Amino acid sequence: MTVEMKSITDSIVKGDLEEAKKLVEQAVEEGVSPDEIVTQGLIVGMETVGEKWKCDEMFLPEVLRSASTMSKAMDIVRKDLSDTVTNMAGTMVIGTVEGDLHDIGKDLAGMIFEGAGYKVVNIGIDQPNEKFVEAVKEHKPDLLGISALLTTTMPRMGEVINSLKEAGIRDEVAVIIGGAPVTQEFADSIGADIYAPNARSGVDRAQAYFKNIA
Amino acid sequence: MKMNQFVNTTPQFRVLSDDQIERIYFSALEVLERVGAEIYNEEALDLFRASDAVVVGDSEARGRVRVPPSMVEEALNFYPSKITLKGRNGERSLFIQKDSAGFGTGSDLPFCYDRETGERRRTGYKDIGMAAKLVDALPNYDFFMSHGIVGDAPNPQTYDRHQFMAMIEQCTKPMVLTSVDGEGLEDLWRMSCLIQGGENEFRLNPMFVAYIEPISPLKNDNSAVEKLLFAAEKGIPAMYTPCPSSGATAPATLAGMLVQSLAETLLAVSLCHLKKPGMPLIMGGVTTLLDMRKSTYSYGAPELALASAANTDISKWLNLLMFSTGGCTDAKVVDEQAAAEMTTNLFYACLSGASLIHDVGYIDSGTNASLESLVLNEEIMGMCRQFCKGINTEEEYLALDLINEIGPGGEFVTTEHTFKHWKEWFLPQLQDRSDYETWVNNGSKSMTDRINERTQHLLDTHEPEPLDEDLHKELVEIMHRADRRHS
Repeated sequence: MTVEMKSITDSIVKGDLEEAKKLVEQAVEEGVSPDEIVTQGLIVGMETVGEKWKCDEMFLPEVLRSASTMSKAMDIVRKDLSDTVTNMAGTMVIGTVEGDLHDIGKDLAGMIFEGAGYKVVNIGIDQPNEKFVEAVKEHKPDLLGISALLTTTMPRMGEVINSLKEAGIRDEVAVIIGGAPVTQEFADSIGADIYAPNARSGVDRAQAYFKNIA
Repeated sequence: MKMNQFVNTTPQFRVLSDDQIERIYFSALEVLERVGAEIYNEEALDLFRASDAVVVGDSEARGRVRVPPSMVEEALNFYPSKITLKGRNGERSLFIQKDSAGFGTGSDLPFCYDRETGERRRTGYKDIGMAAKLVDALPNYDFFMSHGIVGDAPNPQTYDRHQFMAMIEQCTKPMVLTSVDGEGLEDLWRMSCLIQGGENEFRLNPMFVAYIEPISPLKNDNSAVEKLLFAAEKGIPAMYTPCPSSGATAPATLAGMLVQSLAETLLAVSLCHLKKPGMPLIMGGVTTLLDMRKSTYSYGAPELALASAANTDISKWLNLLMFSTGGCTDAKVVDEQAAAEMTTNLFYACLSGASLIHDVGYIDSGTNASLESLVLNEEIMGMCRQFCKGINTEEEYLALDLINEIGPGGEFVTTEHTFKHWKEWFLPQLQDRSDYETWVNNGSKSMTDRINERTQHLLDTHEPEPLDEDLHKELVEIMHRADRRHS
């Protein structure tokens, strides 16, 4: 009995990790290419989840469960993926600026990006500018997510971008920002590349951005 | 091991203490002994003449009746503490009992706004059908009153049969019905017996409660008493609902209004008992004030909410079921005033534990019908229901192990506990909780916009279970016979 990509997709939508792992492992044994498992199975599952989320058919806890299922199922085949597929998603570093102890927005965004196939490095809260710079140098991410919840800490997002410039690595990474007080206008004023007004839109906007510059 | 625990399964709310209720009750008995009430009905006067009451009157058909407390208290022992209604959908869905709230519309509003022209006009058969359809579709409504009045009936003397037809065609839920007089109520009852499968089935599975009201202060007109006596004879559930306006047809003090309103109720309690003990009688009351600036009977005053909740306290103390009021407003359109007033009086009616809460959706001080108001109230009733669920403090709900597991700075969104319990929350259908940008992208719609869309969508898509064709013919025949009698 061969594994159908449709059933992998369904296991992601259901957020059934055991089922998803079993199916992916079985597909690998059957000789299905890791690229196919990811592009025809896992990613299709998360696209379905994204659509259902947009029209209120799925809710945050379910979406995160699917995202986590996707990410863990992808780990099984991640090292065997072709460069093309690896680059489809890419790497993301994410953190909260110095003086801000708020975890949740950044963590949710990270989980959603993981669900879209990204490898996410979460550097945590209350991070000084140089830590962001170091993380970008070390992990060479495609995307740097900076979070701030407070109007008082919001300007630090601009400082992080300036530090990247000073270190000469601003052009090596796309900066995405979000958080309750953030607007498109603010994002433009500090020179961020992508503005995400909510957790739902972040992945879409990032993908649209990369498509645009490609 | 825990000991001596009390658990509030629901929130607790009370306006009056037992001692306060007793003072109001003793005062109401005093009113019936000393002042009495006027009755314009020969049979009722004869029943009182043959009892321990004192009847003084200048004609056979009109008299002042004064009733001793012993008669009232004997009668009070005979009323059922529970009535269960079954709509034509076959579900015994509405349990009228203490501290168990059922929501429903009001009835007989003369005007409505035309959805196409925006003009205010008289309500008609089709408007009642549309309201019926919405109430059938919206799950938070437990019962249906006509909302509007069938102003285009061939004869005002038979409008009630036409109104019932308009209601029953589009709504399968239990109902509260108004009627022109005793004969009108008899026709409605006959129509309902056909639907329920006979008189005895109707008695066990009544599908409607008859709405009857005295005239405050302390007057009982012939048609109201006819209906009451017919309901008592046939065992039809009925509510006798004083509608006093504080400062005009009742004292300007809320306590005084409650005393008078209770005296009006207790007179009906005595009368129905004389006719036939044990009828399913429900206490009622739209207890509010006359606005002294505009001379209108207010449906949005906080005093309505307060006096209604107090009245429910009294009803529970008397072991009578309560027909209360909420979800209504003085606003002329469904606007901010409407939302504020409807939310306030609906929440307090619900918290008070009234058995039935009616007039949901009334605008313009009980003169104007609004389909949008019905849709808005669906959301407010949902919020009420959620609030009344109270807070569970069992181990699973205290979540101590979970808090320990997650620790400082962690997140709960992805835990199994959240996955399981967030579904117990209220899920708004109309309220917007999106972020600003999403809201703008979706057209920057106001609540009013969303209510309009939802109203139209329900009218376009909801298909109530149709009435059996043969049954429909039989019902129409009863209606036509009434029209011929009155032509």
